[in-house]
Amino acid sequence: MTHARRLTLAHLWVAFAAFAIAAVLGVWQMWARSPLPAPYLTAQAYFTSVTAHGVSMAYVLTTFMVMGFGYYVAETTLGRPLPYPRLAWLGFALGILGTLMAAATIFAGNATVLFTFYPPLTASPFFYIGLVLVVVGSWIWCGLMIVAMLDFKRVNPGTPVPLAMFATVANAVMWLWTTVGVAAELLFQVIPAAFGWNEAIDVGLSRTLFSWTLHAIVYFWLIPAYIAFYTMAPQAAGGRLYSDTMGRLTFILFLIYSLPVGMHHLFMDPQQSSAFKFLQMSFTALVAAPTLLTVFTISASMEIAGRLRGGKGYFGWIAALPWDRPMVLATGMAFFMLWFGGGGGLINMSFGMNAMVHNTSWVTAHFHLIFGGTVVIMYFAIAYAIWPTLTGRQPASLRHQRLQLWLWFIGMMVMTLPWHYLGLQGQWRRVATFNYADPVIAGWGPWVIVSFAGGIILLASALLFVWNLLEFHRDRAVVAPEHPPIYALAVHPPNRVPAALNGFALWNVLVLVLMIAAYGYPIAQFFIIDAPEAIVHRVTGGG
Amino acid sequence: MRADTEQDILKTELWWTALVTAVVTAIMLAIIYAGLVHHINPPSNIETVDPKTLHLTGEFTEGNLGTRVDGSQITSRIVATQFAFQPQCIVMPANRTVTLRFATPDVIHGILVTGTNVNTMIIPGYVSQVHTVFTKTGDLLMPCHEFCGLGHSQMWATVRVVPEDEFKPGPDGRVTCDAR
Amino acid sequence: MKPAELREIDRPWRIWASIIIVSILAFSVVFGFLILPIVQGRAAGLDAFTAICRAVGILPGSPAVRQPTSEAKAQPTTQVAWSTDLIRSLGQSTPAGAEVAQACVACHGERGIAADPQNPNLAGQSGVAIYKQLHDYKSGSRVHEVMNGIAQGLDGRQIIDVAAHFAASPRRDLDPTTAEVVDEDIVRLVERGDPARGLPACNSCHGFNAGGPMETPTLSHQNREYLARQLHAFRSDGRRNDIYTRMRSVAAKLTDREIDKLANFYATTLSY
Repeated sequence: MTHARRLTLAHLWVAFAAFAIAAVLGVWQMWARSPLPAPYLTAQAYFTSVTAHGVSMAYVLTTFMVMGFGYYVAETTLGRPLPYPRLAWLGFALGILGTLMAAATIFAGNATVLFTFYPPLTASPFFYIGLVLVVVGSWIWCGLMIVAMLDFKRVNPGTPVPLAMFATVANAVMWLWTTVGVAAELLFQVIPAAFGWNEAIDVGLSRTLFSWTLHAIVYFWLIPAYIAFYTMAPQAAGGRLYSDTMGRLTFILFLIYSLPVGMHHLFMDPQQSSAFKFLQMSFTALVAAPTLLTVFTISASMEIAGRLRGGKGYFGWIAALPWDRPMVLATGMAFFMLWFGGGGGLINMSFGMNAMVHNTSWVTAHFHLIFGGTVVIMYFAIAYAIWPTLTGRQPASLRHQRLQLWLWFIGMMVMTLPWHYLGLQGQWRRVATFNYADPVIAGWGPWVIVSFAGGIILLASALLFVWNLLEFHRDRAVVAPEHPPIYALAVHPPNRVPAALNGFALWNVLVLVLMIAAYGYPIAQFFIIDAPEAIVHRVTGGG
Repeated sequence: MRADTEQDILKTELWWTALVTAVVTAIMLAIIYAGLVHHINPPSNIETVDPKTLHLTGEFTEGNLGTRVDGSQITSRIVATQFAFQPQCIVMPANRTVTLRFATPDVIHGILVTGTNVNTMIIPGYVSQVHTVFTKTGDLLMPCHEFCGLGHSQMWATVRVVPEDEFKPGPDGRVTCDAR
Repeated sequence: MKPAELREIDRPWRIWASIIIVSILAFSVVFGFLILPIVQGRAAGLDAFTAICRAVGILPGSPAVRQPTSEAKAQPTTQVAWSTDLIRSLGQSTPAGAEVAQACVACHGERGIAADPQNPNLAGQSGVAIYKQLHDYKSGSRVHEVMNGIAQGLDGRQIIDVAAHFAASPRRDLDPTTAEVVDEDIVRLVERGDPARGLPACNSCHGFNAGGPMETPTLSHQNREYLARQLHAFRSDGRRNDIYTRMRSVAAKLTDREIDKLANFYATTLSY
């Protein structure tokens, strides 16, 4: 096995191990919030669990998945060995070390601040340092992806960078931009406070810096799914990618529009002005563009596949698609969930309507559907597609893989549709227990139980997924083809593309301009108005 | 769908891009319309207040909290603290423009009032302000909707919306739940 | 392909991308910074300049509504003003504190552990909590026939020193044999609270790693009689120096039985 493949396997196993643990915690949390009596329930246990669930799902699963998949894409699309594999292993080791540090502080009860921190609540410094180490590990990955692309361009002047790799590097570049905000918050504000060097924190500033990161990080998680949409799904369906240019444009739009929009997480905050909220809202509206372009391009690619397989008429091509292949099935389900989740997102971004749903279960439902649904189901599909090339084996039947995807899809719908409804009723977020003695809240009870049932289905799917992965390592699995085609060709493969669609120099300049416009004054204002600070509240004992 | 030449593909895509642009523009126009005609704004209010001495400020001192009528202005001042609101019940008249002012002496909180569009974060260092009109009478829940520590789940207050003719301020201009 | 040709196909991308981005920026500035606030401000009777300043965040308030005024002069329940310097000095024990502590021996014991269970133990108590109570005794926000006089005899520095001194002292050892079997509902109150009464868990402020209000005292290792008396005082409004009724509002919802059991729980249980 090559270095890159060993790296991929190691990263993905860490990602999915964290995922399985977090799935168990998530179901227990839903139990706690339901009218049914849950075991082990205390306030401390609940918020410890929420912190662990968020950190595992949002930081560990995603970062390791993105890194592992990136190494795979770099090697398989560029046809060259990965540069500096030792550095890649160093990044992996930092990630593991950081994850263990964070996990130890969380489960010791010294980090009940949830994965989004909420200063002036302050956890043990080792919680934050652990997360910083994970990020530093991912920065190494970013560097390696950029170097791999530049090496390829140097050796193959004029040849377009393959789309999957172009998208991976777009993600790496975006991630470097993205992490600036949270890194500044942690290094200059939160970690000094956690160590006791500072007794107070400027909360308005810390929220603004975190918002810098908060939206783009979601696209960091999402891009592997979009890479699969553009390059793996058309191939699995037996077709071709409708347009390579559209793919490149989509990933560039993600890079640009995911960054100057984070303030939509602060729509309901007092410390940012309505004018800058409006500015960032305009760019948030444009984030819909890359997603809608993708919906079109992938549907067109799938139509090509369906017609090649003999589908006729307006909708006949849909029935003709090979739905028995996990990648095709997952793409279909992912798109279905994307319609609901994306529609919900458009409501969140309008600041008038946002007032109705901010910090209600609607938002929880929205990101579980988009991330837990659309994105994670594609993580599954990617794992099923590349695992045979990692172990050289595959199960004789794909039945269990399909079953697992169906369970995930059904569980996610059953869980999140009631949440959307409850959010509109005003059910608020991040609580361990509800007062079901209140007549208003009592009416929510049955819907909370329905969503809990969805959670149980999701847990079953998560465990089946891990079992399915273990199948690839079993002796009874059959030998897999060594070099199966993974990536789709475009209908008209590009032979020359403008530099703008083959690199990121231009886009980095534009991102810089936009970030200065969108975040320059909103950050500077805290230093101009000399904002009052709040005393640190430590959740680590002893003050 | 035609995909015979690159020109075909380009043409279809341009149509689709135009459609996407139209959708995004329509959404933005709706938001601008709401802003121009209904004066919809997010609850921005960059008005600082020091959380370390909030209880000494006068305005947000314990004895001054709750609903007060001052000429034509009806304002309720509420402090969100770990892990309760002070006061825990406020009275509001129906169908009148009212202002809710919030501040916190400790950590981040947030509120919504169920069944209404009243929603704001409460950030230490700032006064949060919401202007609204309550249209339905009755007791509404006002929970803390942002994680503020281990007691977050038990942090809520009541907004008692009463018909306009039952909203009778005392001689000091104040209206409390106890008095009713 | 030659470099010149490459540049040729790249140029329109650069130009159009920049034009589009800048026009979107210009669009949002024109509407968000100018048109919306001016129109909204006009309806609220604000001049255009004020409305724009409010929209951009240079002035407080909404561009669409007049700001309410306040000339409140309510009396605070405590005069303590927090600051980072104060919090920091309360974490530093000095020899001066031990000297001041000599005045406390008669009631609070030689090492801050009171012989009479009516009096609180001070050893191992949070320095911020001790400071706040002494400050309140001094200012009269909290009333006690002996303590008011003693606190008025101390200056600000001495209060800080003695608070830091007791905070750094080792707290009372618990005798595990005195621990009673605790009722399940009391443990629930301590760890989970009671949603039906809106009671947060005692632990959410008083727990070892709670992160609650900074002046929250530690309750474990405290004396049973003292704890019960204070809870009753908070409940009957006899004691009202807690900031924003944090403790009064909780105590008001407790029953006599719960107060006694909770006082007993904290006085005898090791783990909190």
